[in-house]
Amino acid sequence: MIKADHITKVFGKNEVLKGISTTVEKGEVVTIIGPSGSGKSTFLRCLNLLEEPTSGQIYINDEEITSPRVNKMEIRKSIGMVFQHFHLFPHMTALENVMYAPQKVKGMSKKEAEQIGKNLLARVGMTDKETAYPNRLSGGQKQRVAIARALAMEPEIMLFDEPTSALDPEMVKEVLDVMKGLAETGMTMVIVTHEMNFAKEVADKILFLDDGVLLEETEPNTFFTNPSTERAQSFLEKVL
Amino acid sequence: MNLDFSQIVPYIPFILEGIGATLKFVSVSILAGFILGTILAIFKITGFWPLKVFADVYTSIFRGTPLILQLMIIYLAVPQLTGYDISAFLSAVLAFGLNSAAYVSEIIRAGIMAVDKGQTEAAKALGVPYRAMMLNIILPQAFKNILPALMNEFITLTKESALVSTIGYLDLMRRAQIAGADIYRNFEPLFFAGVIYWVMVTILTLAGRYVERRMRQSD
Ligand SMILES: Nc1ncnc2c1ncn2[C@@H]1O[C@H](COP(=O)(O)OP(=O)(O)O)[C@@H](O)[C@H]1O
Ligand SMILES: [Mg+2]
Repeated sequence: MIKADHITKVFGKNEVLKGISTTVEKGEVVTIIGPSGSGKSTFLRCLNLLEEPTSGQIYINDEEITSPRVNKMEIRKSIGMVFQHFHLFPHMTALENVMYAPQKVKGMSKKEAEQIGKNLLARVGMTDKETAYPNRLSGGQKQRVAIARALAMEPEIMLFDEPTSALDPEMVKEVLDVMKGLAETGMTMVIVTHEMNFAKEVADKILFLDDGVLLEETEPNTFFTNPSTERAQSFLEKVL
Repeated sequence: MNLDFSQIVPYIPFILEGIGATLKFVSVSILAGFILGTILAIFKITGFWPLKVFADVYTSIFRGTPLILQLMIIYLAVPQLTGYDISAFLSAVLAFGLNSAAYVSEIIRAGIMAVDKGQTEAAKALGVPYRAMMLNIILPQAFKNILPALMNEFITLTKESALVSTIGYLDLMRRAQIAGADIYRNFEPLFFAGVIYWVMVTILTLAGRYVERRMRQSD
């Protein structure tokens, strides 16, 4: 479903991604783990072209999205993204946040969008906050609305960039639970996270990134019990 | 002390008519300046450099020269160069609208830049086209932040509008001057006009505060 082929990304003189190749199958849940500054966000953002790779190709369903002829907007319609800091639209209510893209991007009628919006907010347990503006919501609630907003476009792939890192500890679980539920529906997910237990439990595959290099690509059990590189070992010692 | 406000009583209707004249060209100028200023602001933030250069040069010229000079050039030079006998009203609207656009564009540009980058990213990630993103996501947030600065610009424009008296447009200021010349008393009509300007600006200020409060709803 997703294939990355020798992706590099250079900011000025700083080579942040140094030739990353991997694949993600349909329905697979992949978590990206690694030290801060290792290029996790940058790689994730290449997948929906928020960053353009300096070289290398990305294919989604066998279509090369890194080709200059590709319409980025079209690609992004089928890839949802959830950010560390939510980025809800502050001047819209929770429901309006979810309804916006289906209406503006897909040309859906207001009524249809409202139906979808209400269903999705129910799915993330936010029915009673439909009319609340984002600043009236807790971090966990904001993130759940943000997930609903991304799902409203009915994406084939969901990208998560540290979705629980900005949350107070007691709100982490509610967001992870929504993500687990999503994984169970067979959604293809790529998740940058520091939640090791979540990764262990939910991921089909772990990518360990260090200094722009993909050092390990294994299933969780092997990664957490028997990492093959020293870098991964020392990283795990620090975080576990 | 030699003060006699009773002398201007016959001139009150004449002076008051100036309110309409002033309001008419001030509101058209504000609207023109606002629309043009928004467009220029978007030019300034696009990645397309010719538009950016155009907007920057435009702003530099209109902010870097006196407004009264711009007014005179439009009023006097247009007929001389083109033979078109431009009216005082049109000259005034052009000068004030074009001038205000330069200031407004800077205010709006700063407002757009101050909107969290994450908003753009979230909109892009959803596949929202640029135009819709600007109109529905970025500009509403930018306007909310810059409303006080915009109100300030509109108030300045309202007061500066008195400059059009120099090209013979019969605004509030000009009418006060005419009344003063007729009765050989300048203080009373000027004072009267001053009060009217103050009332107009105060109403504008209160209206601005009201809109600001309404927009705070989501805070
Ligand atoms: N837009 C950018 N411009 C310049 N440098 C950037 C930009 N985005 C990220 N970087 C740099 O790239 C490196 C990797 O960043 P990032 O992908 O955010 O790492 P991670 O998500 O693993 O913490 C960092 O050194 C960061 O400073
Ligand atoms: Mg990151």
